[in-house]
Amino acid sequence: MTGKQKKQISQAIQIVLILITIFVMLVPILWIFMAAFKNHIDVFQLKLFFTPTLENFGTVFEAPYHLGMKLWNSTIVAFVTVALAIPIATMAAYSFSRFRLRGKTAMLVVILATQFMPAVVIILPFFVMFRDVGLLDTRIGLVLVNLAIVMPFAIWMIKGFIDGIPIDTEEAAMVDGSSRIMVIRNIVLPMAAPGLLTAGIFCFIIAWNEFLFALILTNKDAVTLPIGLALFKAEEGDLWNLLSAAGIIIMLPMFILALIIRKYFVQGMTMGAVR
Amino acid sequence: MRDNTLKYLLVLPAILVVFATAIWPLIESLRLSFTVGRFSVPGSLEQYLGWENFAWAFTQEPAFWNAVRVTAIYTVLTVGLTTTMALGLALLLAPGGKFRAGVQTILILPFAMSPALIGVSFRFMFNPEFGLFDAFFGVLIPPLADVSWLADPILAFAVCVMADVWGWIPFLTLVLIGGLASIPQDTIEAAQVDGASNWRVFKDITIPQLAPVLAVVIILKSIFSLKTFDQIFMLTNGGPGTATQTLSHYIYFNGMKYGQIGYAASVAWLMVIPMIVLAYAYTKFVFRKD
Repeated sequence: MTGKQKKQISQAIQIVLILITIFVMLVPILWIFMAAFKNHIDVFQLKLFFTPTLENFGTVFEAPYHLGMKLWNSTIVAFVTVALAIPIATMAAYSFSRFRLRGKTAMLVVILATQFMPAVVIILPFFVMFRDVGLLDTRIGLVLVNLAIVMPFAIWMIKGFIDGIPIDTEEAAMVDGSSRIMVIRNIVLPMAAPGLLTAGIFCFIIAWNEFLFALILTNKDAVTLPIGLALFKAEEGDLWNLLSAAGIIIMLPMFILALIIRKYFVQGMTMGAVR
Repeated sequence: MRDNTLKYLLVLPAILVVFATAIWPLIESLRLSFTVGRFSVPGSLEQYLGWENFAWAFTQEPAFWNAVRVTAIYTVLTVGLTTTMALGLALLLAPGGKFRAGVQTILILPFAMSPALIGVSFRFMFNPEFGLFDAFFGVLIPPLADVSWLADPILAFAVCVMADVWGWIPFLTLVLIGGLASIPQDTIEAAQVDGASNWRVFKDITIPQLAPVLAVVIILKSIFSLKTFDQIFMLTNGGPGTATQTLSHYIYFNGMKYGQIGYAASVAWLMVIPMIVLAYAYTKFVFRKD
């Protein structure tokens, strides 16, 4: 066998392995997509060909499931979480990036470390407190605890973006008599805008997919989409066609958002540890 | 306003939020762990109990040790499998080109999926009557044709591991591709000119150069594996029996279902300790560059 043939065979094997990987990665997702368009009976047979129906997407919004309310809750909670987290994180990130602060490293380490604490530890005291002050099963309560998981990501991610903006323009503007606030507003914010949007989308995905907090804190009024999945159980078992339709409603918007920020996805998750 | 004041004012809101939403609950959990802490007993959240909750976990609770064992095996398996498979896939995809770049884009999808939904989808795939994987494995390995995966302790555990590995391979692969891209190509080419085999290049150049990124990947994955809750809750809910009950699940059940919040907090804090060690190791890597 010549070297060229060897190379071709190795290439072919690689392509086959990659194709198998894609297949394994996509099958569970595609299977859910298919089941969502199947009727109740087709789900129970391993059918590849069937008459697609949109019925499931209607049923999940009707009684007794009322997915619309959960969709609304998820949207509001994720939006408000992001709307609070990003401005606060941006201010801190700018300061961490541009100034010497006393105890800066310690603060950054603590912020990073809180991200790794098990959610179940954070939520126990919140449950007790919310029970006492009447915040159980409210969207405000959910927003507050979501900040615990979103803030560290936001601060670290935005700091990374601001670190990448050259400092010269800012200094030149300061020499010309601009105040620091004006510099931040007129120079830093416009330049950091794509980064802020990326961080915002990233945090939105995290808040949207959050499960444990909502499971413990909500039971009726403030239930979010992931918790809503547990609704689709009947006496005869799980209602897979409805579960799948709800699953699509949960994951499709996140797929779109993730693809928009795909370049920064890895950077965001590792908080700058890998660049 | 002078920068000296402003710089502290800018970080203040963020520090307050982190303190209120993360530091305070950690401290309050620690306090609760030393109390009787039962929802059914008024005032018990303030009733000091000393170390008894911890002693109870260590000496009186086989279920605690079971959860420790499940979590440990789960962590070792998922970290090992995910890292090895992601490394293999990263090596396959690293050469670049349109096809491979397209595959990298697809890889983002499983990671944007909520873990709870991953749990649901795997329960669906392993349904004994019409699950796709169930049918697939039945054809591939005939002895498994008639087993009900999620009803068997070992197989249910295997399904949990599979779901986790499936959900995490894409992300770790993307991280490792980034790591591979930063290895200087000329070193590899020089070795190849000298007649080094692919295996030698991998073992003597790629792995040592990739070591810091691999370490970050392993630490990060260990942290998330130790915390696992969402998928397990939706996939097996800890069952059958307690075969797949991780520590997070055990804490959730004791705190929320049995109302033993003091005991749950003490077990939770036992979990915080390894987390602090891992988080410390992780920050070492983050600040290595500065």
